[in-house]
Amino acid sequence: MIEIRGISKTYGSIAAVSHLDMTIQPGRIYGFLGPNGAGKTTAIRMLMNIIIPDEGEIIFEGSNQRPPSNKIGYLPEERGLYQKISVLETLQYFAHLRSVPHANDKIKANLERFDLGSRVQSKVSELSKGNQQKLQFINTILHDPQYIVLDEPFSGLDPVNQLLLKEILEEMKQAGKTIVFSSHQMDQVEKLCDDVALINQGQLVTSGELSKIMQSEGVQRLQVKTVKESDLTHECFSAFTSERKNGSVFIDIDGHSKQEIIATLNKSIDLKSVRVAELGLEEIFIHLVQGAKS
Amino acid sequence: MNAWKIAWFEYRRRIRSKWFIIGTFGMPILILLISLGTGYMAGTGAGIETKNFGLIDETGFYGRQLSLALDQRFADKETPPFNLAVSNGSFESLQTQFDVLVTDKTLDGYFVIPADFFSNPLLRNYSRSSSSMRSTDIIESELKELLIKEKARSLKLSDEVLDEIFFDVDVSHFDLGSSEERETEELIAEYIAPFVFMFLLFLGIFTGGQLLLRAVLEERSSRVIEVLLSTVSYNELMAGKILGLGMLGLTQSTIYLIGTFFAGNYYDLSLLTPTIGLLYFTYFILGYLLYAGIYIGVGALFDSEQEAQQAIQIITFIAIIPMVLWTMVIENPNSTLVNVLSYIPLVTPFFMMIKIAVGETTIFQILTTIIIMIISVFGSIRLAAKVFRTGILLYGKRITLPEIYRWMKA
Repeated sequence: MIEIRGISKTYGSIAAVSHLDMTIQPGRIYGFLGPNGAGKTTAIRMLMNIIIPDEGEIIFEGSNQRPPSNKIGYLPEERGLYQKISVLETLQYFAHLRSVPHANDKIKANLERFDLGSRVQSKVSELSKGNQQKLQFINTILHDPQYIVLDEPFSGLDPVNQLLLKEILEEMKQAGKTIVFSSHQMDQVEKLCDDVALINQGQLVTSGELSKIMQSEGVQRLQVKTVKESDLTHECFSAFTSERKNGSVFIDIDGHSKQEIIATLNKSIDLKSVRVAELGLEEIFIHLVQGAKS
Repeated sequence: MNAWKIAWFEYRRRIRSKWFIIGTFGMPILILLISLGTGYMAGTGAGIETKNFGLIDETGFYGRQLSLALDQRFADKETPPFNLAVSNGSFESLQTQFDVLVTDKTLDGYFVIPADFFSNPLLRNYSRSSSSMRSTDIIESELKELLIKEKARSLKLSDEVLDEIFFDVDVSHFDLGSSEERETEELIAEYIAPFVFMFLLFLGIFTGGQLLLRAVLEERSSRVIEVLLSTVSYNELMAGKILGLGMLGLTQSTIYLIGTFFAGNYYDLSLLTPTIGLLYFTYFILGYLLYAGIYIGVGALFDSEQEAQQAIQIITFIAIIPMVLWTMVIENPNSTLVNVLSYIPLVTPFFMMIKIAVGETTIFQILTTIIIMIISVFGSIRLAAKVFRTGILLYGKRITLPEIYRWMKA
């Protein structure tokens, strides 16, 4: 288990992260969400001990000592590899630093799995951007770490490789690994994560089990379709918090009963259909970020 | 342990690089070729453009004598530095004609030997630029000799007496207690040996330093630094880099020292004694570590090599001082200026190397400079570690001096 207790980091007058608390349970996939500049990368760097927090502490398995490097795999947001050395030398160097046993066998197996088997002797600079990303991911997991921290792991990967990455993350979860990753791709987070934390302007907005957050934060809405299309802009909708989208009007059920909303609308327009719509993670994300801003 | 792994990685990947091999073996070859080339050019006059001067001789005597003396002086040169066209006559009658020749660039300039030159030896020179200074010196010295001989003749001194008066002093050199005369080449080699040691030290320290700067910038700009820092600590990373690239500089220095040893044997000189070798490596290690702190600190502050090199120029400029003053140091190794400079850590290794090679230093001075260097190295590495830790992950931000000062104080 990783416990993040009240960590803060300030650069000059800017608070990048402010009193952040998170608990990452073992053997689960933890999604770390937030808009650009929310402080995700700073928080992850503190988790990796690359940046020392101004206050607060990070506890790994009950100890505030950072686990040895061969227990953690880290994929930074800003990808970086030595450009002038070969794929093999890159992986051998990092394997050597992490004292990986049977490194060459593991390197070969991973390169094969990621379809890079024929590029062993290629210089990193000769690889495409996508292949460099794959190489960096192999480097992150080569030493079979217990904790895997990934900053925007899906960015830059094509759909095929995104699927492969998703499969591998699920396999790792099955193997009992603890995975933390930040992402803007809410569909991936929704499919993969057990728990999530959302931060905005360096502060925690919400955190917990994804299904519970979807339940509690997911404001129910009524999806209303009208007989006449021109009625979609009728002034009767202004009595509620609503949004017009894809030939429907979505009304937040917020302090009103469903019957009350339908009765109000029926007085003014002819309704074609009314159904309850759940909010997706992306909409919850936007809703919470906007709520936090206001 | 991780520091050694990083050091070995840095050392291995750079020592195999073709640029390191070319640089290590190419540099002495280049220096040798430049020395031989300049020596050849100085000896034969190759590469020198012959200038053309006129001479108006109002005496009708010295011009002809001067021309003969110059022919004799330049006899062994393929290309004489200048030709001299002598015209007897008065300055008033020839001035316009000579001025035209200079203006249309037929002549680079002209000289005038006045009619009363014997009693009032004042040679006049008219030229387009100051590029005839060297030629003027030669003409002046030849004319002086001619004039002295003429004055001696006017005193009725015979040629035999003149030969007795004008002679050269030859000096023979011997080692203490030896009757065997030393060769001039040996003496020159011994004279420049201290400079060679200092130069090798300079080369080794700055090769390592420059590679260190590039290594930090490479990892910073390629963003590989973050992956490394998730694997090893800041101190391990910094120590590994300093160690690996220091070993590279040491390898290069050892190759050069072996070369110097064989060159010394060729001239039958024991240039490289065990004491000099030991002190060379002591000052190399201390000098390298001192500069390593500076280079690694600067590398952590800049995004581009161009900016980093500009910042490091000031330090390099200070380190060049011993290179500029080396003849002065060899001839005055115990002057107050040299002694004071020897205690300034940034240049201590270079000045001390010359003093040690000349044999003009004391054990006290060696020990005190080593202690000062150790303290400076400690300070340099400690401050560099603070700057490195804070600055290395700050991208795209122009860091100010007050900020650096704050990091160092932290």
